[in-house]
Amino acid sequence: MLVLTRKVNQSIVIGDGIEVVVLEVRGEQVRIGIKAPRDVAVHRKEIYEQIQEENVSAAGTDVGDVPE
Amino acid sequence: MMTSNAIETTRFGNVEFSIEDVVMLSEGLLGFPGLTRFVVLQHKEGSPFSWFQSVESGDLAFLVIDPGHYVPDYAPEMPAEVASELEIDEESPRLVYTIVTIPKGQPNEMTLNLAGPILINVANRRAKQVVVEDSRYPIRYKVFSHEKQGHSAA
Repeated sequence: MLVLTRKVNQSIVIGDGIEVVVLEVRGEQVRIGIKAPRDVAVHRKEIYEQIQEENVSAAGTDVGDVPE
Repeated sequence: MMTSNAIETTRFGNVEFSIEDVVMLSEGLLGFPGLTRFVVLQHKEGSPFSWFQSVESGDLAFLVIDPGHYVPDYAPEMPAEVASELEIDEESPRLVYTIVTIPKGQPNEMTLNLAGPILINVANRRAKQVVVEDSRYPIRYKVFSHEKQGHSAA
């Protein structure tokens, strides 16, 4: 993994058109701004993982348990 | 000419389908990458539920429903990258399904995944599980406890 040190208002450019800006650092929280083209999806990683887990649970649904 | 295929499934036995009915998810469902082709089977005649059955893995099927059946005002914003990937514009006919989870033997604990709907472009059969980041739409929306609580949830 590439590791870079940045200060507030400094940014990182990824490829052509993606920019990640450090907006604010307060205690343990970091606010980050992301500029990306409209065709690039940007999400918090946890939500992907939670939806994955839920899909795995959903795949266990039994036909016999479906309400009439 | 309709091209017919069949798959042996754990839930529904031998299922015949036409290639024209196959829905393609280029990235699969989250957690199930590589399984990209599904057909929609109605649960029972008159039932609001359907099954999103993989045609590549006979034991993989997801119970789905039109989210409007339980959440009439469900209207998440569809991200622009999804619309462009599926080639959906404002006039494209589309279908939205939400995946239903029922813990074994506990239909009253049924939940809807409102944060991960499946969006289908009906015209080209391309589909995607959309990630919706909106606190109104949880991953585990409890259908029946919400009904009992009435307005208290708001």
